[in-house]
Order: sequence, then C-alpha cells, then structure tokens
Amino acid sequence: MADLVMEAKHVYKTYGRSNKKADTCIDIKQQVEAVKDVSLQIRKGDIKLIFGPSGSGKSTFLRCMAMLDIPDKGEIYLGDECLTKPGVDLNKARARIGFVFQHIYLFRHLTALSNVELALRQVLKLPKEEARKRALDALTEVKVTDCINKYPAQMSGGQAQRVGIARALVRNPDIILLDEPTSALDPELTGEVIDTLRDLAKEGTTMLIVSHEMPFAREVAEEMIFYDEGTIVETGPPSQFFNAPNTDRAKKFMTRIINRTTRE
Amino acid sequence: MPLTLSISIISFLVGIAVGFPLAFIRVYEKETSFLVDVYEKIFRGVPEIVLMLLFFFGLGPYLPLLFNNAFFVASFVLGLRSGANQSQIYRGAIHGVGDEQMIAGMSIGFSKWRSIWHIMVPQVFTFSTPGLGSEYALLIKDSAYVYVIGLAEVMTRAIQLKASSISEVVTPFVLAALIYIALTFPIAFWLDKWGNKRKKKIGL
Repeated sequence: MADLVMEAKHVYKTYGRSNKKADTCIDIKQQVEAVKDVSLQIRKGDIKLIFGPSGSGKSTFLRCMAMLDIPDKGEIYLGDECLTKPGVDLNKARARIGFVFQHIYLFRHLTALSNVELALRQVLKLPKEEARKRALDALTEVKVTDCINKYPAQMSGGQAQRVGIARALVRNPDIILLDEPTSALDPELTGEVIDTLRDLAKEGTTMLIVSHEMPFAREVAEEMIFYDEGTIVETGPPSQFFNAPNTDRAKKFMTRIINRTTRE
Repeated sequence: MPLTLSISIISFLVGIAVGFPLAFIRVYEKETSFLVDVYEKIFRGVPEIVLMLLFFFGLGPYLPLLFNNAFFVASFVLGLRSGANQSQIYRGAIHGVGDEQMIAGMSIGFSKWRSIWHIMVPQVFTFSTPGLGSEYALLIKDSAYVYVIGLAEVMTRAIQLKASSISEVVTPFVLAALIYIALTFPIAFWLDKWGNKRKKKIGL
C-alpha cells in the first residue's frame, strides 16, 4: 500500500515495574504486559483515536510506535521502512515522526521559538532564516505568537502544549503521535488545545491520538480504538462506540465516560 | 595569591572538562560506568596531599617532563580530584533535570549524545551551580597543600613570614585566612546568584 504511513504488526512490550513500599523497603518486581500483540495501520490523512482505562498501556504503545520505547517483539513500519530491524537509523526515523507528550516536556532552557527551531537547525540543518520562518509559521498556526520569546515556565499549560504541538509539526512529519495532549490541563486550557488539534485535522494531518475528549473524538476521528489490558479490544467509527459498542468492556467504559462528561 | 588563584582556576576547569563527560557516562553508558566509579573512588577517597606527594616524588623522577613541575602536579591532582567531585555533582543534576527532557530530545530526532549536548548540558550546568560554588571554595582551600611540594602560595608565604612572638606567629595566618575567605566567598556567591536567577527563569 503506497499510502500506508505507519503500521504496527504484532507488537509486544513488557516491562518490570517495581512497586517499592517506602516504609517496608520491600521491592516487588512486577511484570507488566503493556502491549500484547497489537497491530494497527495508519494511512495518509487518517485520524485515529486510542482510548481506554489508565494504566492499560496506551502510552507505552504510542511510545513503541515512535521507537522511544523499543518493542520486545513485532514490527513497526514507517512508510515501507521497518524500524524494528537492527541497524536502522532510528534518529532519522524519529525526525519524521512528531510526538506530543502528556506532560508537554518543552525544553526548559529554551524560549518557545528556540524550542520549535531546534530540530530545524540541528536535525534538518536548515539555514537560519528559513528555520526561523518555518518556526514562526508553526507558532502562528497554533496561535501562540504572543509568547515566542517566553520560557516554558512563563507560559500557561495550554500555551505550552500548543508550543509542544508546534514543535512536533514544524518538521512536517509523516505522522503526529499525541499522548493525552490535554489530560494534564484544566478544562479551559483543554479547549485551546482541542481547537488547535481541530485545525490540524481540517488540514488533513495524519494523527494517532490517545485521548478521552469524547466530543472531539466524535467530531474528527475516523476510527476509535478501545484499548484495555495491553490489547486492542474493539475498533470502529465513533458512531459505533457512541451508539452500541460490540463488546461489554467498551460498553461499560463508554457509559462511565459519557456520564462523567455530561456531569461536567 | 596569584598562584592560589591560578591553581584553583585551572583545576576547576580541568574538573569541568573531566567531570561533565564522566557524569553522563555514568548515567547513560551503564557498561563502562564501573571504570568511572573506580576513578572516582580513588580521587575522592585518597587525600589530595597523599596524591600530590605520590605524583611529585613518586612519579617525578620517572616522568620528569610532567611530574617534576610542582605547578603541573598541583593542578593535575586537584583537577582530577575536582573532576571526580564534579562528576557527582553533575550526576545529581542530571537526575534532577530528568529523563523526560532526554526523551523529548530524542522525539525530535536527536541521537542520545546530541540530546545530551543540546538539551541536558545547559540545564545540568544551571542545576549544579550551588554545588559548583562550594567545589570551587574547596579547591581554593586545597591549593594550600601545594606547599608540601614547594610552591609558594598564600600558606607558604604565611609560614615564611612567621617569627618569634605570638602576635607575629598568628598575624600571618589570620591574614592568610582572610585572603582565603576573600578568594572563595565572591565566586561562590556569584555562582549561586547567577544560578538562582537562571533557575527561576527556566522553572527548575
């Protein structure tokens, strides 16, 4: 398939989580199967949304897609390049993938503009003027031109996350992976970030988003993926989940999340 | 006094040059980090006076080009000692800055070492300023040991000046103490102030 942007084939990831109890010094090593046999295809222009209970491994899976976590088993493809084969230049591959973090992780010692510019100058090696122009364009696109010279600590969470999105999209990546981009923000700021994502969706940006923003999902996602206990439980268009999910687990989760949203 | 200053400044710079890479090796290159550990144990564990005597009188005759020069031996020993100490300071700072910054760096296409260079190093340095201030003060004070290998720094002068009566014995040492304070205090103070200002700005 020519238009396949990214693909995961039977990906597995297990990690040891240590549960250290402070007062007893007992260290219980637990094996957590965060990703169990997950396969997923993303085509150009797709917007897919992963949702599910916290701790189910959604973030780990997303990190595996970007090869920020190396899968134990299975294959990740970016276009037709297999990233899980040994000897692949992962840095080059990651430069073609945008990643937005739940807790933003802007570079704290750099201003908004430098945060966005850094990859253009140092990874893509663009000349100074061109990098500056593209960085400014990206910051305009996410509507944070008022804080281009501010440091992350001086911005609101919503501004910072929009700069985070600008940092991810400025390289014109093949795909943007977003790991709960709004869950660390309060409802008002969430709105700002969601507006930005909606704009990106309109432009046809290929995105894989982990999120629980249901109204947003309903509006922009072509496909929703219910993820629980390390695997994909159910996939389908938003209408399927909002009307009648096929699986009991998805049904229960949707009921809970919709109740919560209407209460707010 | 110029000697005290130049020894401490040179060894401080040697310490930065040695300590910075070692700290990152210890955190990010687990396979080779035991070598760093051995080095740190030696230079942090053995008193610098012993090291100076060892290099000057022990190795001096065999490697006269290097270790017959008291100034070189002093800067060499104190620099490497400081490198071991500074490596510890930076290591703490690396953990303080946090792994997330590294991951964010890699997410934009940086390799591990470029992520370290562009993202960790500037933040780690800011994070370490209080520790560096006291490390510099330590170097100023420890430069007093070089009198055992025959360099005339502040302490040596004080010893030469002392004479018979009590006040004549005490005055040079009190003066020496005052000079040491004058040398250590401003730099530590300035480093701390600069660091705090930067930390506020970047929210560390």
